[in-house]
Formats: sequence, structure tokens, C-alpha cells
Amino acid sequence: MRRTLLAAALSAAALLPLQFAHADQLADIKKRGELVVGVLGTDEPATFVDPKTRQIVGYEVDLANAIAQKIGVKPVLKQIAVAARIPELQQGHVDLVAAGLTHNKEREAQIDFSLTTFVTGQKALVKKDSGITELPQLAGKKVLTIRGGTQEPNLRKAVPGVEVVTFDTSQQAFQALQQGKGVGYVDDEAALLRSYAKLGPQKAKYVVLKNNLSTESLAIGIKKGETALKAVVDDTLRELEKSGQAEKIFFKWYGPQTASGFQSRDFRFETDKISE
Amino acid sequence: MPLFDYTLLLSGRYHDMLVAGLWLSLQLLAASLLLALPIAVAVALLRLSPLAWMQRIGFAYVELIRNIPLLAHMLFWYFGAPELLPTGIKEWLYARNIEAVSAVIALALYSAAYMAEDIRSGIRSIPVVQFEAGRALGFSYLATMRRVVLPQALRVTVPPLISQTLNLWKNTSIATVIGVAELMYQAGQVESASFRSFESFAFASCAYLSVSLIITGLASWYQHRYPVRPAT
Repeated sequence: MRRTLLAAALSAAALLPLQFAHADQLADIKKRGELVVGVLGTDEPATFVDPKTRQIVGYEVDLANAIAQKIGVKPVLKQIAVAARIPELQQGHVDLVAAGLTHNKEREAQIDFSLTTFVTGQKALVKKDSGITELPQLAGKKVLTIRGGTQEPNLRKAVPGVEVVTFDTSQQAFQALQQGKGVGYVDDEAALLRSYAKLGPQKAKYVVLKNNLSTESLAIGIKKGETALKAVVDDTLRELEKSGQAEKIFFKWYGPQTASGFQSRDFRFETDKISE
Repeated sequence: MPLFDYTLLLSGRYHDMLVAGLWLSLQLLAASLLLALPIAVAVALLRLSPLAWMQRIGFAYVELIRNIPLLAHMLFWYFGAPELLPTGIKEWLYARNIEAVSAVIALALYSAAYMAEDIRSGIRSIPVVQFEAGRALGFSYLATMRRVVLPQALRVTVPPLISQTLNLWKNTSIATVIGVAELMYQAGQVESASFRSFESFAFASCAYLSVSLIITGLASWYQHRYPVRPAT
């Protein structure tokens, strides 16, 4: 009896914010004059704080700015934690989430996704002296990664029996790897290669495992059912693709002259469907 | 939005994760408490020592610990302090559960500072003539403390110490930042795997509340069973 009462009270509290949800978020954004975009701000080069200007910049920021410009409002970036991305969006604290968000089937039940804005593999970086050369060898070993993303579930799926320790930011996880608190570190390829590049001469002590743990389609998250907002976001992305601007933004942050060093862009802003 | 689904909390994988978290939290509590108590007594004695330099060490310890947030302690004992160890010991430690070890050290040292102050107050509540009488009978400083003052003082100190235990219990949740798979950590994992934020954090809240209430219950039982005898 007591349990049902408690459950009823808690679920009533959980439903409360929904009753105040507005029907059309796009109209609200226009009225407000600003588009609030949730970003990580710790995920170079997607969103990070420029040490000179102290502003949040990056690949996802450029996309967010383009969307705000298309709607005709001011973009406002709000820093959020990895684990808070979906709740922040569902509760309406942010209009969009451009925060390295993986598009997967489980999440489709919770939120909507824009066209795929980035495709990345997730990889593991290991200490050379651990003698590990293939993913399955990580079984039973301590591997470090970021909390609340798809890295951990993907790692557990790819390597059954792995011991995972997670941290609030990828920097902390990477720091723990450098200190030897685990044999490996897992992250999205772009972020991982950048951390690897930052090692400098220490790089020789580490090796990036060749095989991907998984391939991830990243997209901008939109609150479920906001079709008008999704249409504007997708239109903006299509226009960027058509004008060649998408290619330019990609190479600006991920191209050969950056630490990520991508030679080519192997995806297009064309679909909001994912395989599998 | 689906309704509150408590079946998820009663059985299955998510249930197991949350229970494992609760169990680890309780272990953190027990280990840190056992470690904190002797440190607290030692620090309290330092602070009441007749020697000025010992008093200063005790004072410095309490102020240094109390005036820095536990979160900073936690990160220091995980990312900072172990790096100073010699390579051999460091590798041995890192191959084991360094996360939990760091958390226990941070929690114990942090709680000990607060408990030391409570114990010191308890000692000061015992009339100083008792101490003087002990010394007059030929007991040393430590012997007087051990045989005369502390047995009375610790009894007075139990209620505030239990209240500190309550704080320690809630503080174990901070260990989540250094990757210790305690209750808050597991609740977060369940949330990101199942998107059941409400259920997982409801479980965590109820678990914290229940254990806290048990500790509070123990405190009032103790006070009833062993009332403070007025020192004369």
C-alpha cells in the first residue's frame, strides 16, 4: 500500500513538467528571440572553450549558429553534462542539444534527431607496455571512459567482461589513463585522436587499436514531436550541404591541418535514418 | 511518459546494479568510519595536548580539512596524492581498486576533522579537576586520558559522532566523481542505460534515507540505553 502511494506521488511529480509543455517550440523560440542550444563545451573540437576569447566555439557551435541564423534569432549556448543531455531537452531547458549526441534506436523513443551531422567510430587507446593489440584482449582489464554517453555500453558490448571506470569528463578519464589507473581509454575517434595528439613525445608509449568498437552517427537532438523545429534544423543542414558550407565547416575543425587530421569527409548531411 | 515502473527496481539487471551500488556505499561507510575514529581521537588529543607545537599540528589539520570542500579532497586523493608514491607501490595499487581506496582515505580524513572537534568538546566537558586528580595520583598524561577522561568523554560524544556518521554516509555519494561504483554512480548508470531517471534516483534517495533513519534510530536507542551520567 505504502509503495503504491509513494509510486503514485513520484509519478505525479514526474508528469508535472509535461503539462506545461508548449505545443510549438519553434513559435516560442521566435517569440523569445533566442535559440538555446545545449553543448558540452569540453569536447574539442566539437564544442570547447577557446582559451583566448573564453568563448565556446567548435564544429557543433557553427552548426547551431547556422540554425539560429535561419530562424532569425540569437543563439545562446548552454553548457550541459553528458548525462544531462536528454533530460535537459525533455524538460525544455534547452531547445536543441548539439553535444556529441549519438543517434541510436533506444534514444529514438525519447527524443527526435536531426539529419546525421557527424559519423565517427569509437576507438580504444591503450598503453603500449600492456601488450594489448586487439579489442578482445581488454577483457578483464580496467578501461576508462566518459560517463553517460554510448561509450560505456558500446565497450561492454564489444568486449564482454571488461571492467569499466567512468568519469564526468573525457579529460579526467584521459588523465587517469596517463597516470596508469587503467590500461585503456575509450572515446569517439575524433576526440580520442586529439587527446592522443596532445600527448606529444609521450605518444610513443601509447597505441590506438585499429578496430572500431562501434560506428556512431551523431546528430542534433530535438524534443520529441517538435516537427516544425525539426523541419527548420534539417532544412538548414541541407542548405549547408548544398552550398558547400558543410564541407568547409568540417575541414575547419577536423581537417588535415587540425589535430584531428581527417583527410576526407566520408558522410553527408542527408539522412536522419540510422542503420541497424 | 510511462508511469513509475517499480518492477525495474525489484528485480533484473538494474536492480542488481543498484543493490551492488548500495552495498559498496555501505562498505565505504564502514571502512571510512573505522579509519576516521582513531584519527579523530588522535587529533583531539593533539589539540588538547599541553605542548604548544602539538596543539598547532592538531589545529592545522582540522582547519586545513574543514575549509576545503570534500569534492576537492576526493579529486586530490585520486588524481594527485597517489602520483607521489614510488613507481613500484603505485603500479601495485593502480592494478587494484585504487578508486575505492582513494575514496576511503578522502572520506576518513575529512570526517576525522569534524569528529575530532566533537571529541574535543566531549573531553572539555569533563571537569578539569578529574584530570588533575589523575595526574596527582601519578598517572601520565596519556594514562589519565585513557583511564579517567576518555571513558566519560566518549560517552558524551556518541550522539554528535552518530550525527557525523550520518554526514559521512551522505558524503559517500561524492565518491562517484572518481569512478567509484557506489550508489549514486550506479543510479546514474541505470539512468543512462534505461532513461528511467525517476526510478533510479528514487531508489537511491530511498536507500540513503533508510540507512540515515537507521543511524538516527541507533542514536536515540543509545541515548536511551546509556544516558550521559553527569560528571561531578
